Amino acid sequence: MYGGDEVSAIVVDLGSHTCKAGYAGEDAPKAVFPSVVGSIDQMEVDDPATTDANPGSAVDAKINKTPEDGKSKGKRKLYVGSQSLGFRRDHMEVLSPFKDGIVADWDIVDHIWDHAFRECLLIDPKEHPMLLAEPSSNIQQQRERAVELMFEKYKVPALFLAKNAVLTSFASGRATSLVVDCGGGSTTVAPVHDGYVLQRAVTSSPIGGEFLTDCLMKSLGSKGIKIKPRYSFKRKEIRPGDFQTVDLVLPNTTESYRLYSQRVIASDIKESVCRAPDTPYDETAYANIPMTSYELPDGQTIEIGADRFKIPDILFNPSLAQTIPGMENFSELAPSVRGLSQMVIESISRCDVDIRRELFSSILLAGGTASMQQLKERLEKDLLEESPQSARIKVLASGNTTERRYSVWIGGSILASLGSFQQMWFSKSEYEEHGASYVQRKCP
Amino acid sequence: MDAKDILGLPKTQFQIPQEKKSRPPKEPQRKPDGISREVYALTGGLAPLMPSIDASQLKKRPPSDEKITWQWLPFTSSARKDDLQLFHWVRVVNGVPPIGDYAFAKYNKKVSLVKYTDEEYEKYLIDPAWTKEETDQLFDLCEQFDLRFIVIADRFPSSRTVEELKYRYYSVSRTVLIARASSPTDVAGNPLVKDPYNMSQEIERKRALSMVLSQTKQQERKDAEVLAEAKRITESRSSLKGSEEPDVPIIAVAGSETSDKAVAVGDIAVPSNSAAPGTSAVTADNASTLASLRMLCVYLQSYALDQMVQATSSSVGLRTIKRVEQLMQDLGVNLKPKVPTKAVCAAHLELRKDILNLLNLQKQLQNKEAEGSSFHDNPYSEAPGTPKMLIREQDRPFMSDALNFGGDRLGKSNQKRKVPGRTSEGVPSPAHKRPRKLKASDL
Repeated sequence: MYGGDEVSAIVVDLGSHTCKAGYAGEDAPKAVFPSVVGSIDQMEVDDPATTDANPGSAVDAKINKTPEDGKSKGKRKLYVGSQSLGFRRDHMEVLSPFKDGIVADWDIVDHIWDHAFRECLLIDPKEHPMLLAEPSSNIQQQRERAVELMFEKYKVPALFLAKNAVLTSFASGRATSLVVDCGGGSTTVAPVHDGYVLQRAVTSSPIGGEFLTDCLMKSLGSKGIKIKPRYSFKRKEIRPGDFQTVDLVLPNTTESYRLYSQRVIASDIKESVCRAPDTPYDETAYANIPMTSYELPDGQTIEIGADRFKIPDILFNPSLAQTIPGMENFSELAPSVRGLSQMVIESISRCDVDIRRELFSSILLAGGTASMQQLKERLEKDLLEESPQSARIKVLASGNTTERRYSVWIGGSILASLGSFQQMWFSKSEYEEHGASYVQRKCP
Repeated sequence: MDAKDILGLPKTQFQIPQEKKSRPPKEPQRKPDGISREVYALTGGLAPLMPSIDASQLKKRPPSDEKITWQWLPFTSSARKDDLQLFHWVRVVNGVPPIGDYAFAKYNKKVSLVKYTDEEYEKYLIDPAWTKEETDQLFDLCEQFDLRFIVIADRFPSSRTVEELKYRYYSVSRTVLIARASSPTDVAGNPLVKDPYNMSQEIERKRALSMVLSQTKQQERKDAEVLAEAKRITESRSSLKGSEEPDVPIIAVAGSETSDKAVAVGDIAVPSNSAAPGTSAVTADNASTLASLRMLCVYLQSYALDQMVQATSSSVGLRTIKRVEQLMQDLGVNLKPKVPTKAVCAAHLELRKDILNLLNLQKQLQNKEAEGSSFHDNPYSEAPGTPKMLIREQDRPFMSDALNFGGDRLGKSNQKRKVPGRTSEGVPSPAHKRPRKLKASDL
């Protein structure tokens, strides 16, 4: 392949919603699973499988019912992967390694990586160079932790940390662009110039796909629609074609697991039904909109009307979230959150004047939330109004929604299989010679 | 072929020319060996004009005496400073892996910087605004990022602008180069020395560019309102002019809009973070409005003038128009007035009308003279009759035109002053046209 040289590198992108892993050189990741884990504290469960485990676990008698102490002295069993998470277990809490967009619990990250390598991709990390995707505004301490974990535990031969925005930019064949990454946990706008992120101009907001899902859930809840998680009912076929729903009572299910299962259903509703409105959302204008029906897994059919357009408009107008009952505390959490188009303009105005024109004409959309319908057109329209006259606005998004979702991973796949990239790896010998802080030099 | 025979060289494997000779007479009856009939029919049943691969050779592999395998082998690259060994697929010929450096190592290009030593720093490069650490950091980053100053400015620990960084880097390099050169002429050709970095010019340029780029939609709306106002004014003015004017304001406004946009781009718009130029922007706006209005007037008048001239000259022939213009040039008047204000345009039109009148009268005079002279010379011929009638017919429209333009005064004086007065003027100028005129009337 022209310019390419496969060294069987592995590309891992740990996002706040899903983790994507696969071989470099391929066009889609092989392993895609949620980046949350189910965790059961060992002390509480009489699990026969672990009776032969360290007797010391009973000694640290910190029988804590609260889930946040996952990193306490007590042992816990972590269940990773969509299959494990889909099976309901007593007392299983759902934990995320991220807090406010950065990694807080490295143990969970370790388990996630382990699951990806050993169970999904079936590889031995010792033989494959690793390309990790990291957030565009990652701090030095986090990078060093990741490097240490990789080299010490997994003993990879070579490693590289690449920023999400740069990989998205490479996936579309550009060295300079403005990347709008609408992900699960947050939305980040980062300019990339000549293959490097301009860190002082990166803006981000906590409104991501998961926030929108929460808004939708609260909104439906306030209308009296109850979303039943999949584990909580059983459907029996009484007559051919006719089903009856039987509710199951499972008292030991944790709250976080219930919320997690409900979120899965709500995000499916959001993905299938929601559309970005062409004009800013207005209560009166959308009051009489025809409703769309959606069938829930338990057989209930619900009608969704104005929420179809209200929820996506929160991306552009965050103050809308306050009108949803149950989300009023949002204003205390983030008083200065701006809409998507304001973030784009702000980010560009923080860059040097010479490159602004080029950034305006190559705005890339990436991320799972960006595959919402009509989002690209709405963003273009908003930017045309608020941007300077002499700048030509062009928002680019790949037509294939799968590509938009995995554009960071695809960029990594392209980068790691280039012949001229092979000289840029941060190798184990360099790590041993210079230490983890050398990553700042090798992976700018 | 024969040459090869003589030289004793082996014939080529494909034997192309001989195949060519035997093939054409035998097509399409014989299907060629080596490929199936259907495949051959795909080519249209005819041999390709330049057979790149001979048909009979397709089934046979080229007899290679090499053994090719693909192996997963380690490699190193000279572009790396350590000895990392990665693996990749390698085409191995006869059990011998390819030798030589990694094929992509040659793409490892770096910018060659001028590196100063500590003594040089002490001697030449001390600057009050820069410490040695900062300068060292700057050069370090320059090497790491290959002189991408925008990225360097982004990663520089203290916040310095791109212009400051560029200025420091280029002035240091320049000074070191000049200091190291044995004579000034050696390095005079070096671009670092020839074109020194001009920081104030760069700052000014960037400021102007940022103003252009920050002209928001608010400004656009204001400009649009101003233009609408201007359009209203021109329309009210042009409604006095006549029926052909409706095109004019649109064209004029369209013309001035594009020119105004060009003016606005160069205009000083309000930058988003300073209020002081606000007032100057307002006055600049007014100035641009006035300019656009003035330009509209200008457009209007000259365009209107053209319309007028066309209107008047549509009833007369091209020859007459040319004579009018010739006369005007002889008198020293421009064909299009240089300063087309209202008064000037009006005077210009008057002049044109007068000249037309003059020419008409001269023509009539000529005709009458010709009539008179022919009558004199040839009292018995029939010919004068028809010319006379022709002339009279021609006379009539001229007469009526003269009446229309000049008013009564000129018409009356026509009758009186036929013989005396104008002859002296009338004869010389249309002199070159006269022979043609006579020919037409003579038939």
